[in-house]
Amino acid sequence: MQTTIEVNELRKRFGPTIALDGMSFSVQPGQVTGFVGPNGAGKSTTMRVILGLDAPDEGNALIGGKPYVSLRHPMRLVGSLLDAGALQPSRTARNHLLWLAHSQGLRANRVDEVIEEAGLDKVARRRAGGYSLGMRQRLGIAAAMLGDPAVIMLDEPFNGMDPEGIVWMRTFLRSLASQGRAVLVSSHLMSELQDTADHLVVVGRGKVIADTTLASLLAAASGDRVVLRTSAVSDATAVLQHAGASVAVTAPLTLTIAGLSPEQVVALLSEKLVPFSEVSAHRATLEQAYMELTKEAVEFRPADVTGESAEGALR
Amino acid sequence: MTAGTLSAPIAPSDTRTGRRDGFGQLLRAEWTKFRTVRGWVIGMIVAALLTVLMGLFAAANVNIGCDINGQQNSGRGCEPYVPLGPGGEAVQDSFYFIHQPLAGNGTITAQIVSLTGEHVVLTGPQQATNNGPDMTAGLMPWSKAGVMIKENTKRGSAYAAMLITGSHGVRMQYNYTGDVAGMPGAVTASSPRWLRLTRSGDTITGYDSADGSHWTKVGSAHLALSSTVQIGLFATSPSYVQTSTSFGGSSNNGGPSQATGTFDHVSVSGSAPANNWTGEAIGGGGPVTGPGSQGGAPTGPLTQPYHPSDGRFTATGSGDIAPLVGDAQGAPTATVEQSLTGAFIGLIAVVVVATMFFTAEYRRGLIRTTLAATPGRGAVLAAKAIVAGLVAFVAGLVACTVALAVGVPMERGKGEFILPVSTLTEARVVVGTAALLAVAAVFAVAIGAVMRRSAVAVTTVIVAIVLPFLLTVLNVFPSGVANWVMRLTPAAGFAIQQSIPHYSQVLTASNVARGTYPLPPYAGFAVLCCYAAAALGLAFFLLRRRDA
Amino acid sequence: MSEALHAEWTKLRSLSGTSWLLVAIAVLTAAVSTAAVAATHCPASMSCPVDTTKLSLTGVEFGQAVVAILAVLAISSEYSCGMIRTTLSAVPRRTVVLAAKAAVITALVMTAALAAVAGSVLAGRLILPGHGFTTARGFAALSLADGPTLRAAAGSVLYLALIGVLSLGVAMILRDSAVAIGSVLGVLYLFPIIIGLIGNEQWQHRLQRWTPVSAGLAIQATKNMRSLPISPWSGLGVLAIWAGAALLAGGITFRLRDA
Repeated sequence: MQTTIEVNELRKRFGPTIALDGMSFSVQPGQVTGFVGPNGAGKSTTMRVILGLDAPDEGNALIGGKPYVSLRHPMRLVGSLLDAGALQPSRTARNHLLWLAHSQGLRANRVDEVIEEAGLDKVARRRAGGYSLGMRQRLGIAAAMLGDPAVIMLDEPFNGMDPEGIVWMRTFLRSLASQGRAVLVSSHLMSELQDTADHLVVVGRGKVIADTTLASLLAAASGDRVVLRTSAVSDATAVLQHAGASVAVTAPLTLTIAGLSPEQVVALLSEKLVPFSEVSAHRATLEQAYMELTKEAVEFRPADVTGESAEGALR
Repeated sequence: MTAGTLSAPIAPSDTRTGRRDGFGQLLRAEWTKFRTVRGWVIGMIVAALLTVLMGLFAAANVNIGCDINGQQNSGRGCEPYVPLGPGGEAVQDSFYFIHQPLAGNGTITAQIVSLTGEHVVLTGPQQATNNGPDMTAGLMPWSKAGVMIKENTKRGSAYAAMLITGSHGVRMQYNYTGDVAGMPGAVTASSPRWLRLTRSGDTITGYDSADGSHWTKVGSAHLALSSTVQIGLFATSPSYVQTSTSFGGSSNNGGPSQATGTFDHVSVSGSAPANNWTGEAIGGGGPVTGPGSQGGAPTGPLTQPYHPSDGRFTATGSGDIAPLVGDAQGAPTATVEQSLTGAFIGLIAVVVVATMFFTAEYRRGLIRTTLAATPGRGAVLAAKAIVAGLVAFVAGLVACTVALAVGVPMERGKGEFILPVSTLTEARVVVGTAALLAVAAVFAVAIGAVMRRSAVAVTTVIVAIVLPFLLTVLNVFPSGVANWVMRLTPAAGFAIQQSIPHYSQVLTASNVARGTYPLPPYAGFAVLCCYAAAALGLAFFLLRRRDA
Repeated sequence: MSEALHAEWTKLRSLSGTSWLLVAIAVLTAAVSTAAVAATHCPASMSCPVDTTKLSLTGVEFGQAVVAILAVLAISSEYSCGMIRTTLSAVPRRTVVLAAKAAVITALVMTAALAAVAGSVLAGRLILPGHGFTTARGFAALSLADGPTLRAAAGSVLYLALIGVLSLGVAMILRDSAVAIGSVLGVLYLFPIIIGLIGNEQWQHRLQRWTPVSAGLAIQATKNMRSLPISPWSGLGVLAIWAGAALLAGGITFRLRDA
């Protein structure tokens, strides 16, 4: 059966702070849904509400049409990893997975299976207090997979992974999605989500800002911009501006042009015999798309970092 | 990077002042850490509140009732009369006095040939006879008989006496608290003792001798006396107490005792006629049984307890001439520090907060941030200990002052007699209790640093301080062992609260529940300080050795 | 529910500290009982008003501290490392979690308590006759076949179990281990001390009837029943009320709070 996560109009405040302000979205099976937003946007709170850990003031969250707390063996439907450090230091990893398995009516051999899948078989009988960050993350993944669930929810799973671990995680998440599970991943590492997620839910200030596929988001953010490398900067600028485009010098010998397609740029420059070495369509990164979307919603903004100001000049 | 002349490097500030300022800043940082955790501040306030409330609760629930003129009464009207000595302390002043007035200077000399005593029979059926309760032979360690010069026959008036005791030999005692040892040994017919008291103005000197010709000065006392005083012979004997400690409780069984002293060769030089003797029981100190016993009635006329033939006198008396250190003669007395029994509860709260003050650093690795800011680990430990100790001290001081200021008048209003102590002693009790809380806090911080895990640390500190106290109050161990427990464990620190000092001439069993401890106040407090110092030392050592 | 029980049991048994604490309960109780019994003599000329059964169960009043610590740590350790959220993800029904924890802890405590009480009674049985408490003087050797002694012993096991439940409830409310241990030990031990220090008889009597330790330990009395402030089973009932109230309050806060 295909299981979806549905979040409907969640509202919650902690004292004077509004954490969730009408959060609504759904997570479909068969794809990886990235859950991104600035700090304080309500990502972790939303996940806790879905798992029945925090109670919302209004709204509800359903998994396969039912609330989490009503499930008899919830981990067999939803595997979750909220805080990899939530371990009793003096207990071994295997025993940690063992009690979880027992709580779902699963047997010890299932524990050994997930330990092997997570690559922890050599360290499973060691105290969890001695684990490195990466090992703790893997342990958390193993715990989430214990019940072979149809829905996976991971809060910042890339944190603390070394490059090899990141590659592993990426492949792992994609394989989960291809098996037909619904995967919800929150992260700050845009580059990783760019290669992992199919669908994106961008949140800010307790609300959903964008709920769309990755491709459309990137396309919308790209705009029509062309990057040109040339030695004749002033000539090229003159020609292109004359044609009605806005031109900015973003680096020595490099121009960024808005308002013309790459072919038009090539045609204009060739016509006026302005030399150039490279013309390319500028592809926005998820990071840029995200920053554009959320610039209103950011709560904690550090001082502006120069380098973006040139980009900003083009808008 | 702009090119240009490099400015001279900033000279480092003087390291010594830098370190001193550094510690001041560290103190400020630790104080900020403390006061910004709401739970800890509340914990200290709760400690103070519990101390005050417990003391007031105890005071408010004192109920003293008595019978006045056949009517039931309670409260202030029932306050028992307790005489006060010249030094202001509460005293017992009961004895049998054979005396005559002495105007001006004079000397009394007497030979004591025997001192015998009897006390009531406690176990078994009591045989009440017309002569009083059933008695059996037995001399109390501090039964006394001897010669005395006393201001007048009012209880609590100044006096000096040379006396022989049941088992402490010859002594000179004066003004209740003064006690000087003389010749040791018991007195028998073959080895009698000679006693002499000489008054010269306001100075009274005591001498003893074995043969009546070679006198040894025992001591001298400077008293405030009027020109006419009473001079004579006396006998008295403190109550007989049988303590049986069984597990979980001790019971004191007691009853009166009496002592009989036989005097020979009594002479009073000076301007007093020879046969002008009056015999009377001061403070109900007449004989308990036998001819002329009055069963404890107040002073009465002469009733033949002595035989003035051939200069030989026999005096029989009961009671004691000594400071009053606790419930005696059935009069309910209280001590000043009883309003401060709540400090014990406040201590638990203080200890929990102080322990957590350190162990909280180990939660989520906060200790690393602290040590990155201040690499000197000893300094961090010291700063935390100082902050915790000072906060506990202030909280304790406020709480104890309030508890005392409100509790004592409340107790008095209910008819309880508070054993008086000097203001300095009261101050010592209050400040000492606050200091007790402070040192316990320091101890707790150190143990927190050693154990690192709050649950273990809190348990350890509570066990170290509370458990010995509890064991002693519940009489888990025989009294000898309990005394050692209250001497050697951190719980010894509670001795600082004892307001009535320990007098060697009064037999007091140490009873922690009633406020008497085996160690003197400052000694007990020092024991606790030693434990705190040792814990700090261990914490310092471990803190420096361990990884953060 | 059975799975929740299984999970809680696996949790507790996979912590080395658990077995140490259980052993400590048994050993401390038996040791203190032995010390108490060894320190009491009945001299030849006295009639000793000693309740031998209660005397040999003295250790219970000290073993209860370890029971309290065990129960508090079983709860607080989950809060301190954040594992409570994992537990609630596995078993979202909070009442079930609380019930499972209570059941497992109580079962463990009662096992240790059985050993503790058995050891204590045995010590009394072996040592007391040699200290003057002979049959000839009216002190029968302690035996569980004797009705009142059996009641005292079984009641002491229940007493320790109830102390565990009380500690659990308090830990649920307070969550932090140090504060919870301080509070539970305070409630358990300060009341008897207050009773000893207060002069007022009326309040002494009240406190002896209504405070957990003094009332609960009435179950151990086999002599002088008339002079008890509260009858044995009623005393244990008072402790049960305290434990139930703590558990209820703990359960309510658990349900209402965010994890």
